[in-house]
Amino acid sequence: MENSSKEEYKIQSFDLETQKLLKTALKGPGSVDLEKVSNVIVDQSLKDQIFSREAGRICYTIIQAEAKQTNGNVFRRNLLNRLQQEFKAREETRKRSTQEWVCLVSFICNIFDYLKVNNIPMMALVHPVYDCLFRLAQSDALQNEEEVDCLVLQLHRIGDQLEKMNMQLMDELFNLLRDGFLLQDLSSMGRLLLLEILEFRAGGWTLSETAQKYYYSEVTD
Amino acid sequence: MWAGLWASQFTTPPLQCHVTSTLTYENDCKPDENRKKGASRWSHCRKRGADGNLRKSHEVEEPGKCSQSSHRPESFTTPESEGPVSRVKNWGDEVEAEEMRSNVRRDMHRYRRRILEADFPQRDRKISSGSSDSRDSRDSKESPAKGDLETDETTLIRRQKQINYGKNTLAYDRYIKDVPKHMRQPGVHPKTPNKFKKYSRRSWDQQIKLWRVKLHAWDPPAEEGSDLQQIEEIDLGEIMDFELDVECSADTGSQCPTSSGASLSLAEVIFSIYKLIPSKISANRCSVCMHFFYLFFF
Repeated sequence: MENSSKEEYKIQSFDLETQKLLKTALKGPGSVDLEKVSNVIVDQSLKDQIFSREAGRICYTIIQAEAKQTNGNVFRRNLLNRLQQEFKAREETRKRSTQEWVCLVSFICNIFDYLKVNNIPMMALVHPVYDCLFRLAQSDALQNEEEVDCLVLQLHRIGDQLEKMNMQLMDELFNLLRDGFLLQDLSSMGRLLLLEILEFRAGGWTLSETAQKYYYSEVTD
Repeated sequence: MWAGLWASQFTTPPLQCHVTSTLTYENDCKPDENRKKGASRWSHCRKRGADGNLRKSHEVEEPGKCSQSSHRPESFTTPESEGPVSRVKNWGDEVEAEEMRSNVRRDMHRYRRRILEADFPQRDRKISSGSSDSRDSRDSKESPAKGDLETDETTLIRRQKQINYGKNTLAYDRYIKDVPKHMRQPGVHPKTPNKFKKYSRRSWDQQIKLWRVKLHAWDPPAEEGSDLQQIEEIDLGEIMDFELDVECSADTGSQCPTSSGASLSLAEVIFSIYKLIPSKISANRCSVCMHFFYLFFF
């Protein structure tokens, strides 16, 4: 179990010193500088697309470990506040690098998914997540396959949870997506991705068997 | 062209303002800067500093780095305020406030269930591990009628914060290690006030104060305090036993239970206890002890 932890949390992308820091944090958060750990994690999430989708789990583990060991909240607080800073600067980030922007959205959504408060998603993150998704649903972003891909991925993962937290915003978001699909000049992949997510939500956040076949099977004509 | 007209309506973000207006994020100050980090009289007893980091046992805090900054704190929470009073919220604080609310609601459900169980006892009644603050539902004399709970969330959160301050002390840690729950004697050992009972503000604040004073008996030893510490921890039951011994020997004229040397030190002990423990009960008992004491020796 211990040996697989490296792969489990996909921390091979970090340098050795950082890997050591993270492993120590996972076992005994009381002995490390948790602010540093949270910064390391956020920094890496903004660079590494794969890590940004999985970092939520490593954060969750550290938070549980800290709560158990010291009854403290230092890591979570530092993580959230750093995340908030990045969120505030998201428009600049988007201008600077689409990849970083997409990583940021993935990371915030991943955190929303994993870090729950008494099994309820963090209410403080609901509007920020919606903000990010609305930004991705703007027409300039829809032109960009990378951004559309990110958008649909997040909706697949946390769409139903987000809808429960705020149905009205989800309706508005999907109105935008529908309009974008119908009226915008999108790439064929972009159009396909949007159509799939529209069907996905219409089916209650799941894909019917026929839809699954349509979207995800090889087409043999 | 018609399609273009339609499309142009959606190039500007229609909902950006609407969504973000409910929360403001313009907060550049780190969340800890508005909290007092300075040393206080009880700093050495607090397990955790104001920034949440664990202190090592005898660390003395340096005066706060940012507490004298020119700008006003962006957000602050005190037990007296109605929840986090913030001009600008940061996510860390918001989530902690959420967690506090959620914990209080969960505690309430558990407490209600426990009260119901007390009314309708079941064979395999399990004590849940949480909400150890409100364990006295079985005491029917004290337990509130089902409709008589404190339910106001603001009040409950304020009370929980006060309880948390008390529990976040080295004294409390030492106390719970020292005296397991089943060994606790009412009146002798401090008991966490029950936040679900109806009390006036003054009554509650007084209970908290008394509770915390009692907890100080388990403070980590300071330089001159250690002798007094040991004396305070003597079980008052011992004094009661001594009373009975004195009565018997006075009546029957049998041998003195202790040598005069030892009994003089006992007198010192009793005097010290009388001075240290402010509660009414122990004062009465001590004055009765003194009475028998005089009878016996003079």
